[in-house]
Amino acid sequence: MRNTLKLVCLFATLGVLAQEKRIEFEEYDLDNGLHVILHQDNTTPIVNVSVLYHVGSKNEPEGRTGFAHFFEHLMFEGSPNIPRGEFFKIIQNAGGQLNANTSNDRTFYYETLPSHQLELGLYMESERMLHAKIDSTGIATQKEVVKEEKRQRVDNQPYGSILEETFSRVFKGTPYEWTPIGSFEDIDAANEEDFKDFFATFYVPNNATLSIAGDIEIAETKRLVEKYFGEIPKGTKEIPRPTVEMKKLGDVQAEVFDNIQLPAVIQAYQMAEQGSEDYYAMQMLTTLLSGGQSSRFQKEIVDNQQLAVAAGSFPFALEDAGVFISFGIMNMGKTTEDLQAAMDAEIERVKNEQIDDREFQKLRNQIENSFVSSNSTMSGIAESLADYHVYFGDANLINNELDRYMAVTKEDLKRVAKKYLDPTNRVQLVYLPKSAQQQPEGEQLEADQ
Amino acid sequence: MKYLFSILFAVLCISVAAQVDRSKLPEPATPKPIKIGNYESFELKNGLKVFIIENNKLPRVSYNLILDREPIMEGDKVGYLSMVGQMMRRGTETRTKEQIDEEVDFIGASLGAGSTSVFASGLSKYNEKILELMTDVAFNPIFPKDELEKIREQTISNLAAAKEDPGAIASNLNSVLVYGKDHPYGEIETEETVSNITIDDLKAYHAKYFRPNIAYLAIVGDVNPKATKKLVKTYFGSWEQGEVEKPTYTVPQAPEKNVVGIVNRSNAVQTSINVTYPVELMIGTDDQIKARVMNTILGGGGSAKLFMNLREDKGYTYGSYSSLSADELVGRFNASAQVRNEVTDSAIVEIFYEMEQMKKGNITDEELELAKNSISGSFSRSLERPQTVANFALNTARYKLPEDYYATYLQKVQAMSKEDVMEIAEKYIKTENAYINVVGKASEIEEGLKAFGELKYYDTYGNEVDPSLSKLPEGLTAKKVLEKYIDAIGGMDKIRAIQKMTMTMEASVMGQTMNMEISKMAPNKSLTEVKMAGNVMQKIVFDGEKGAMSGMQGNQEVTGDAALDMAMGSAIVEELVYLRDDISTELVAVEQVDGKDAYGVEVKSPAGKVSVRYYDAESGLLVKVSNTVEGPQGAMTLTSDFGDYKEFGGVLFATSLTQPMNPQIKMNIAVKEIVVNPDLDEAIFKIE
Repeated sequence: MRNTLKLVCLFATLGVLAQEKRIEFEEYDLDNGLHVILHQDNTTPIVNVSVLYHVGSKNEPEGRTGFAHFFEHLMFEGSPNIPRGEFFKIIQNAGGQLNANTSNDRTFYYETLPSHQLELGLYMESERMLHAKIDSTGIATQKEVVKEEKRQRVDNQPYGSILEETFSRVFKGTPYEWTPIGSFEDIDAANEEDFKDFFATFYVPNNATLSIAGDIEIAETKRLVEKYFGEIPKGTKEIPRPTVEMKKLGDVQAEVFDNIQLPAVIQAYQMAEQGSEDYYAMQMLTTLLSGGQSSRFQKEIVDNQQLAVAAGSFPFALEDAGVFISFGIMNMGKTTEDLQAAMDAEIERVKNEQIDDREFQKLRNQIENSFVSSNSTMSGIAESLADYHVYFGDANLINNELDRYMAVTKEDLKRVAKKYLDPTNRVQLVYLPKSAQQQPEGEQLEADQ
Repeated sequence: MKYLFSILFAVLCISVAAQVDRSKLPEPATPKPIKIGNYESFELKNGLKVFIIENNKLPRVSYNLILDREPIMEGDKVGYLSMVGQMMRRGTETRTKEQIDEEVDFIGASLGAGSTSVFASGLSKYNEKILELMTDVAFNPIFPKDELEKIREQTISNLAAAKEDPGAIASNLNSVLVYGKDHPYGEIETEETVSNITIDDLKAYHAKYFRPNIAYLAIVGDVNPKATKKLVKTYFGSWEQGEVEKPTYTVPQAPEKNVVGIVNRSNAVQTSINVTYPVELMIGTDDQIKARVMNTILGGGGSAKLFMNLREDKGYTYGSYSSLSADELVGRFNASAQVRNEVTDSAIVEIFYEMEQMKKGNITDEELELAKNSISGSFSRSLERPQTVANFALNTARYKLPEDYYATYLQKVQAMSKEDVMEIAEKYIKTENAYINVVGKASEIEEGLKAFGELKYYDTYGNEVDPSLSKLPEGLTAKKVLEKYIDAIGGMDKIRAIQKMTMTMEASVMGQTMNMEISKMAPNKSLTEVKMAGNVMQKIVFDGEKGAMSGMQGNQEVTGDAALDMAMGSAIVEELVYLRDDISTELVAVEQVDGKDAYGVEVKSPAGKVSVRYYDAESGLLVKVSNTVEGPQGAMTLTSDFGDYKEFGGVLFATSLTQPMNPQIKMNIAVKEIVVNPDLDEAIFKIE
């Protein structure tokens, strides 16, 4: 009897394993507070080494916007042991690939290397955590590079200012008011001391997560992590964690003039922060509106009514708040009023009509597919593990976050649509071609004088 | 003493072990052998070859069906092959496009098709549904007529934009010169060939080439091989074989000596340079691996010779790269750069210099090492994706590669010595048998190009043109060209007899249509109204002195320089204005416009705007206007085309026009009606 039971248990376990494809990992803290997450997968001889610093644009003090992102650049300038300009070359010469990115909440660095170069990856990341080179030459160089980046990505990119224009209004009065790219003036105004202080505050092991995924042996990797990161001193300053309190918006309307050909309508609503129950429902809602060729915005606004050449929505969930953005890029010869009305109509439909079984099942299937696909690479796994740990204190969500999506009901979709997608509490932007701007800038200046 | 010593020694050891030497990079560990995943393969009775790459890491599956046919000629219907796949996805015997979209989304899957492939992927639990949808699209497409027209319109508007794109022009020139027009790689898609495509062409192609005996199916992911085999038999078993011929082609040869091919763009500010020629480099040979190492050193990226020289050292260009491709019919070498006009010849000199360096074996250990390491790194990173294993299996079968071709790939890369690089460069790098293809402003660059070889001139579709015809005739002036135009459309008297006119037009862009009505009164009053469904969407008025625009984007007054521009555009015939002494005009070029010579007259407007107006050399009629405008990515050229001249009140007017919306999209305008000297109330030109 007992044996049979054991056997049944064994089968049950096997069955679950085969179905769930769990991602196994181990996590621990070094004495200096650095959180370490290791995922071993020896199928391909590559390894991804990543470091997440829990600092984003929302941590920037007033008058110093753009700092977190500026650091993303500064951190490639080298260290006492890595000459300027060599960081990229060393990784490339080792057969590796590297990059970094900055959000409102955190900054992320990674290298993907052949696994026999694991130690090199740890060395490079520990070098900049220990003593990144912060001097006037590097600061001056990167100021120019970052300005070019802003010109290319925001100023010269059609519709490139959408996030900036939206955040400044939706998050007014909170540290989410500005986006990671920040302002030229603030970066220009900053001096070397400001940068050193920012580094000493945020770029410390007790504010970082080292996440490694790939062809590693756990014991050896732990030894190497201790070797390179163990000696980095713990930060001594207090790490500021700003709070975000959202205020009611009212009906905010504005026009934005940009280098574009086709006008666009942007509707932005305040939304729950990431990880909350409502957040998962809002994610499902956006799939309903704009996931795939058969989604409602695509089918109704683009294909049937042909009011827009493209239409969609994307929820932007941050650590402490969120914004739900829908957009439509107007088709030739249509009006922004009609487009806006059509977008509103689809939102109203979600609030008032119960979604049918088949469409609801479609959403669940689409969500499941994208969840499963998100962990297909070592770099994806390393980043997800770090994010889940930092944001939710639970790296294991990499295995079971899908349950939270599957708990969302049809009623939840209606409920969150009513709760958040309120036209009397939103920001609506109409993007218009610069050529349609009424007053040339020169004349306005003269009038002011 | 001895005891003390050993304690001391132990302490030393410990402190040595604890101290991290950060002054130098850590030594790499022993590289792990690269394991390429296993696969199973079998063949159905109908000849379909199937590969199963089982990978249970994620509950996903993908199907990739590939047809291995020889490249084929499209003849006077170039472009139909690229439509086949799009059309297959737009309707089958049992599903409309909308139904296909919904069913694919319902299972969170993706599905796409091309002329030699159908690809589908999704969660493995929907395995069978994915197969059902994929095979429906592969076997039962109906090619709906209205969908063909949508795709055709899109293709033609893309082609119109490509006429102005130096990259697209260079690509046409390269294809025609390197492969020749009687080779499948040398055929050029034009408006005419796209117009010739019929539903029957697509159907015939599908019927002929979608056959199992030339097909491979790669299945990757979380599948049970045994069950999958059964499924494959169910869904592909009854697929019928068919005869597929294997055409052969003469192998294109490199030119006997260097030839300079020029496409003249008289308004170009940059020259696009391609040094190129065909190479006999077959897929899956050892030479292909060696050639990759060699090319990586020459022009493979931001640390390669071409980039370091032309960008980092000389600052001629934003980037310069080379490629050396292997192919089942014929491969190709290409080295390229976009440079400012005045350094065109210097840049070519430097490209040849670096090619020479490769042949002489002037490379450093560091360059070789970097090339090997970056190739090895990208090879091993690619193995993370199970699709890579599928590609390896397919290539091994299709090109009959040795079984260990990929298993020994990196060994072969690592084994390369500097001598090997030099040997392979001597074999494939040709500094005396190349086409030096340039797209740029001939009048500024052709003198400097003569040093490199015989100059040959081509139009944007790669047709050779006679440069002697493309010289400005002695004594011709801008004024004469403008006067010839005035005569050609009916003469000064008849033009002057027109005091008022109205013009009704229909514009279409990306499937949308709207109506425009323009009224004019001599000398320069005008009213333009854009209407949709009877409603005025936009209104532009010019009262002879100032202008006003109103519409959904608000009201705007136009004064100053912009008003001077509007005044010119408001004339009944603009050329009358250009003949005035206060307007600066200059004859700048002879250029091919749609295969015929046209004279370019540069006009500077009072506001400083520069445009070049092209008049057909023979008929004298205006055929094209190009404006250079400052865009977000720097200066760009926007052009309008004019054609289909018809007579109204004794004067010829163009009735078919295209206007650029942006560099990618053109609006087609058809003039429906022109009424000369109608009963017009002057009050309509008033600005309130």
